[in-house]
Amino acid sequence: MENNNILQNLFLKQFNESNAIAYNKAFVAGDSDYNFQLLDNAYRLAGKYYAKLKIAIESNKCESEHCALELQQLKQLEEAPQASLGFLESVISELSVTEESSFDPNNDYRYAAANSVMTGKPGFSKTDGYQVYLDLLQNGSQQIVFMGPAFQPPLVINSSSLSALLDSDTSLVVSTPNIGNDMLRLLPETGLFMQEMINENKELKATAKISEEFVMKNTDGSFDYEIIDLGGGKGRNVLKFDMDKIEKKVTPFINAEVAGLMSSEQDVVAAWNVYISKDTSVMEDDQMVQNANAAGSSWLYEIDLPLSQDKKDLFSIKYRTYFMNNYLNEFTKNQIPTVKEDAAVFDLAEAKKAKAQKFLADNNLN
Amino acid sequence: MYGAIIGGALSIAGGIFGASAAKKRARKAANERRRLANKLENLENNRQEIINPYEGVTDLSSMVSNPFANLSVATGAAEMRIEEADISLANTLDTIRQTGGGAGGATALAQAALQSKKGVAASIEAQEKTNEDKRAAGEANLQQQKMAEAQRLQQADVAGEQFMFSTREGREVTELDRTAALLGQAKQTEAQANKDQASAVGDMFGSLGSIAATPGLFK
Repeated sequence: MENNNILQNLFLKQFNESNAIAYNKAFVAGDSDYNFQLLDNAYRLAGKYYAKLKIAIESNKCESEHCALELQQLKQLEEAPQASLGFLESVISELSVTEESSFDPNNDYRYAAANSVMTGKPGFSKTDGYQVYLDLLQNGSQQIVFMGPAFQPPLVINSSSLSALLDSDTSLVVSTPNIGNDMLRLLPETGLFMQEMINENKELKATAKISEEFVMKNTDGSFDYEIIDLGGGKGRNVLKFDMDKIEKKVTPFINAEVAGLMSSEQDVVAAWNVYISKDTSVMEDDQMVQNANAAGSSWLYEIDLPLSQDKKDLFSIKYRTYFMNNYLNEFTKNQIPTVKEDAAVFDLAEAKKAKAQKFLADNNLN
Repeated sequence: MYGAIIGGALSIAGGIFGASAAKKRARKAANERRRLANKLENLENNRQEIINPYEGVTDLSSMVSNPFANLSVATGAAEMRIEEADISLANTLDTIRQTGGGAGGATALAQAALQSKKGVAASIEAQEKTNEDKRAAGEANLQQQKMAEAQRLQQADVAGEQFMFSTREGREVTELDRTAALLGQAKQTEAQANKDQASAVGDMFGSLGSIAATPGLFK
């Protein structure tokens, strides 16, 4: 069922992005009717009902005592158009999240379909079997109902429920946090970089390097290099970093970042499903290839919220790993020495021999 | 297209879409504000404790004492001298008796004994005087050392307070600046989005007349 939901979402995404419909001759030749007329239909009988209530009140022919019910219904009806507009705004606003590139396919796929209907995407017209209704309910609330091939069962959204959700800072459709931006912003905040490595927009400069205090050194104060094999018998020194010290330094900042995300647990689930759950690279995330980031290890909104402490801890750990592997890595891997003479390419065999000689000499083994 | 989907005047549909986009921006900005507030709260709650480097300075004055406080007078030697003098006088008295010496000799001896005991008393008195002087000097020195220790403690307290104040102030100012900047930014975005939404809604209500004028509605 869950996998089916993901597949439906990914299918809709691909369908909308592929432009394939433009090459469907039957579609191009046929007529597409998008005339859903939501407001017209919803208010078609409202005028008569309004008049009936008004006459009943004015002529004192109400069914309820002191016309209480009639007055209440009249008030509801007067407020209804504004409520409809507000409701539709909220529905469209929520559904539009499904168009974001990092949309989590674990959201109910019917929201993506509903967005396609509301934005008049090819293949989602009345001609294609879709219908949308806005109903004014007796209790004063309103509901929008989506029907058609992609809505099994129909999707019903109630205005008062949606309003209650939004008022409590909960989304109907979760917008995945931009983890990439968050992590780029986190880098200069960690204290690993000197102030001069950060520009006026609080971003790292292109030439930014991790401060020397996190680079491994020998007891005599010289840099402790790692030699990497460049191939062809050549090698070069690269800086070695004190990863324990780095991790200790960044951990409080990562924890704070995670605590920020935890202000909305549904955001955490989305971030987990799209970015964090698998140890994928940023490039893989960008591709969002089919269900590479979403299926097996994903958390389900309906089941996993509220998040258990175990899941919160797991998220925190994986978030740190993701940051270290995808964002900090480029500053700690293959960093060329800052000392010019140590940065040159050298003969690997000779370097190894010299290193062995130094070891013998240092330990009086000659 | 939107007009057909929504129904009513075209500008109403356009307004709804415009307002919904602004609503979305407002929600995102509100989310961002909430996230930043939580993040900063966590940073503030979990920041490293500022350590007072002088906190370990303890009052050592109890370890200082007056070494001359309990000096005792060495009366043992004096008692011995008295005993020796007594024995010596007794022996002399025996000799005088054996040799038939008179009372004058005994009187002379009694005087000698008295002189000897006076000497011993004077020696004890001198010792006591010296001890008293030493005790007083020791007490003065002790008070001086206690005062010095109290001053050292006071200085350490002040230095510690100064260090903690300046460290905390420096850090808090940085954090507050950052908080103000980030939260201000998020609030500004939120306010702008709300303004955009209100403006879109305003445009829409200009068109509401057309809803009212549509056949079957409110007439």
